[in-house]
Amino acid sequence: MQTLVAGILLGGLYALIGIGMTLILGVMKIINLTHGQLMMVAMYIAFWMFELFHIDPYLSLFIAPPLLFALGVGLQKYLINPVLKVESILPHNQVILTVGIGLVLQNLATIFFTSDYRSTPVDYASSAWYLSDLWAGTPVEISLSLPWTVSFCLSVAITLLLWFFLAKTDTGKSIRATAQDKDAAMLMGVNVSRMQVITFGLGAALVACAGCLFLPIYYLFPALGSQFTLIAFVITILGGLGSTIGAILGGLILGVFESMTATYVGMGWAPVGRFAIFVAALVFLPGGVASLLKSKKLTK
Amino acid sequence: MRKWIALAAACCMTVMSMTAFAQDKIELTVPLPLTGGQAKFGEIIKKSYDIALEEINAKGGVNGKLLVLNYEDSQGKPEIARSIAEKIIDVQKQPVLFAEYTSACAKAVAAVAEERKTPYLVIASAADEITQQNYKYVFRLNPTNAYYSEGLLGFMSDVVKPQSVAILYESSDFGTSGADEMAKACEAKGMKVLMKEKYEKGAVDFKPILSQVKAANPDVIFMVSYVMDAALLMRQIKELRIDAKLFAGGAAGFAIPEFIDNAKDASEYVVTATLWSPQVPFKGAKEFAEKYKAAHGNYPSYHGALAYSSLFVIADALSRTKAMTADDIRDALLATNMQTAFGDVKFESKNGYQNQNFAETLALQVIGGKHETIWPEKYASAKYVFPIPKWRERK
Repeated sequence: MQTLVAGILLGGLYALIGIGMTLILGVMKIINLTHGQLMMVAMYIAFWMFELFHIDPYLSLFIAPPLLFALGVGLQKYLINPVLKVESILPHNQVILTVGIGLVLQNLATIFFTSDYRSTPVDYASSAWYLSDLWAGTPVEISLSLPWTVSFCLSVAITLLLWFFLAKTDTGKSIRATAQDKDAAMLMGVNVSRMQVITFGLGAALVACAGCLFLPIYYLFPALGSQFTLIAFVITILGGLGSTIGAILGGLILGVFESMTATYVGMGWAPVGRFAIFVAALVFLPGGVASLLKSKKLTK
Repeated sequence: MRKWIALAAACCMTVMSMTAFAQDKIELTVPLPLTGGQAKFGEIIKKSYDIALEEINAKGGVNGKLLVLNYEDSQGKPEIARSIAEKIIDVQKQPVLFAEYTSACAKAVAAVAEERKTPYLVIASAADEITQQNYKYVFRLNPTNAYYSEGLLGFMSDVVKPQSVAILYESSDFGTSGADEMAKACEAKGMKVLMKEKYEKGAVDFKPILSQVKAANPDVIFMVSYVMDAALLMRQIKELRIDAKLFAGGAAGFAIPEFIDNAKDASEYVVTATLWSPQVPFKGAKEFAEKYKAAHGNYPSYHGALAYSSLFVIADALSRTKAMTADDIRDALLATNMQTAFGDVKFESKNGYQNQNFAETLALQVIGGKHETIWPEKYASAKYVFPIPKWRERK
């Protein structure tokens, strides 16, 4: 039980990391391999807000994501778009470019902040709710960590906001139209290049949210990005490239799967489990979870 | 034409004065992890070297020659450490090597040093096999993993008297050998090892493995981790309210002040093995600790004391060596018998180890948000707290 709870809480946060990458991939067909590094940058912003002004990492949700949005827009406009336009022998210039941006960000962080591990020692870091406090004779003891639960709930809220944005607003609809068919969207009068810029900003902002939510429960160092880029990538593949709902499910599946592997096989095996599920998804379910959802709908 | 001659003469003069100057100092290159995941420790070691260097040079250096250290960043990666070591020996012709931090890196450097017949002094890498391979040129100042927990084990068998133990460790050289030695020591003392689980460094969520620990209900939970994992582990143990008679850490991550800063109240009463503390009565230990604190704001960990003392060991060997050749320096190191801030230093070959310094180790406990020495009792700076209160009963 405890394992399942832990897995779902972790999965919710993973999903938020995955969604941003999925969105970028869906709209622009760019594999953004600097995703985790953007998260690292957001975490440093939140960290310094806490250090300097004692702003709670959760309140940094109003600070870091807008800044990262701006950074994402800048990256797309001045680095990625020019590279996409260049004709070159390598068709996947953008992959190399994003890896490069990631390395630059990581090394800049190392220079500016040193490679020290840091964490924000918030007071509630290890507070938790216990089932046995509420119900004395409970047969199973389950505890819900306060920061983990808050982060999970906020992650769900942010996801709902995103869904609302994509489904109801004009900009959101334009983004979805661009994702479906770029040329058709352009013919319908959608400013495609603008949408791409916004999407990259949005993806960066989403992963910034994830960073703020991670800060109270995890720690921070410049090399942290690559680990989360990898996780985001696995989730994106698992969820089906470009599907938002797929990414949410993918995140949850990965979270629960990792917790299960850790409990029943051994904690050292969790990363192995991650890649096993990654390969399995590629081989047996190339369309990801999204394709399952689609086929269900068709048969109905 | 005359101008050219003058210029050439000037050049000659500079070159000559440079070589003359070079004779007045001994330059040594030191490989350390200054960036990357282990940089924290590399930094402690470097700061301590600088304090020792200043003291040595203030007292006239090594036989009147100024000692100069140059640092090379190995990023904590064995392959980089190896290539730095090769460069130091083959290109710079340096007759002696020391430092590096992680066991994996030290192992790589030790292999190079042995191959090139250049003495290498390991200062803080604990994996046992480094001095168990019949290496003739590898020396080690810190006690090995097998001896790390001597102090802790003494405390356990005299005070805690546990029946069972669960061991969690990170899947590195240091973690694995620490866990293996602990398991052996526990079994030898008649304790049951209920679990021995490794985890991948940098894991976010330890709860799955901790719920297993909770179900196993061991008397002692022993963990071998670097600093951030150590803090996360204790925080999540508190969250799950896992009660044990003793939470014990195997040095490294648990023994430095950052552990308490990050784990906050979850760190209270945690006992850790360590090699040294600022309170030990060795000559120069207190002075070094205060000097370090004045310069950098907090007390050094045992890594600092090892680094500080190791430079004195090196300087001592260099001042006694017949010539600046690898073999003479090795002989000088072999004959080492001196007092340092880390205690008496002597390199012995026994119990399957070669050129190993055997030192007494301590146990620390976090009491009132501070590390206090609790064991052996002759070195204690505070009375240990045992039994420790259950999580539920803490405020």
